[in-house]
Amino acid sequence: MIQPQTHLNVADNSGARELMCIRVIGASNRRYAHIGDVIVAVIKEAVPNTPLERSEVIRAVIVRTRKELKRDNGMIIRSDDNAAVVIDQEGNPKGTQIFGAIARELRQLNLLK
Amino acid sequence: MRLEKCWFCSSTVYPGHGIQFVRNDAKIFHFCRSKCHKNFKMKRNPRKVKWTKAYRRLHGKDMTQDSTFEFERKRNRPERYDRNLAENTLKAIKKIDKIRSDRASDHIKNRLKTGKVQRQKEARKQLELGIHLVKAPLALAQDSSLCLPKIKVNVSQAQTEENQPMED
Repeated sequence: MIQPQTHLNVADNSGARELMCIRVIGASNRRYAHIGDVIVAVIKEAVPNTPLERSEVIRAVIVRTRKELKRDNGMIIRSDDNAAVVIDQEGNPKGTQIFGAIARELRQLNLLK
Repeated sequence: MRLEKCWFCSSTVYPGHGIQFVRNDAKIFHFCRSKCHKNFKMKRNPRKVKWTKAYRRLHGKDMTQDSTFEFERKRNRPERYDRNLAENTLKAIKKIDKIRSDRASDHIKNRLKTGKVQRQKEARKQLELGIHLVKAPLALAQDSSLCLPKIKVNVSQAQTEENQPMED
């Protein structure tokens, strides 16, 4: 359940370290974002000497949430933190590696493993 | 579909039950119910929590080593479906389960045996000492059938003669 002002860790090597969600993409008054949803975020903390800088507005897709993910077979999965992967306008990831575990629901998006 | 073991209490987690927690190092913890999940969040060590299987096995309360445990190992290769194999496996599961539970209950019974004998001894002694609480001493003296049978010990005459030189 990610909403504006939520801080998220970055799970790839794109250069950002921490993001703050600004907007949930999908509908005009959409409240929360879950795993697999795209958000607009601002970079709060970045690794020095990378193409991404602090206070840059970018898009990201959420890969891990502390709120449980419910599957159709009854499985409920929780993560330890909220994390996202930086993405560009088309939906391709900006980084080349992804760190940490990722839910199977993200297989539809072409995230390099 | 796979039946997992709860990380905290070691009971089986059936599909549709419990929560799986994925830590950031990709280790997955299965929990059978929120009780175990909450204990985990409290950072309790299952080896110290009395009602878990881990504690019971560690402290020898439950059976630890048995050949029936070998059948329940985790197998990662799926078997090709064979009707006979499936039928035999189902029959075997029932039988092995029964054998294992019988052996486990025997283990517990044997463990509790020494305590039972001790308790009976203590009860007997308590009755002897506290018989005045049950029946008045006067009534006991008059009616000898209420007393516990006295155990007679035969002391041989030869022993007393031997002791006399030592006392001088």
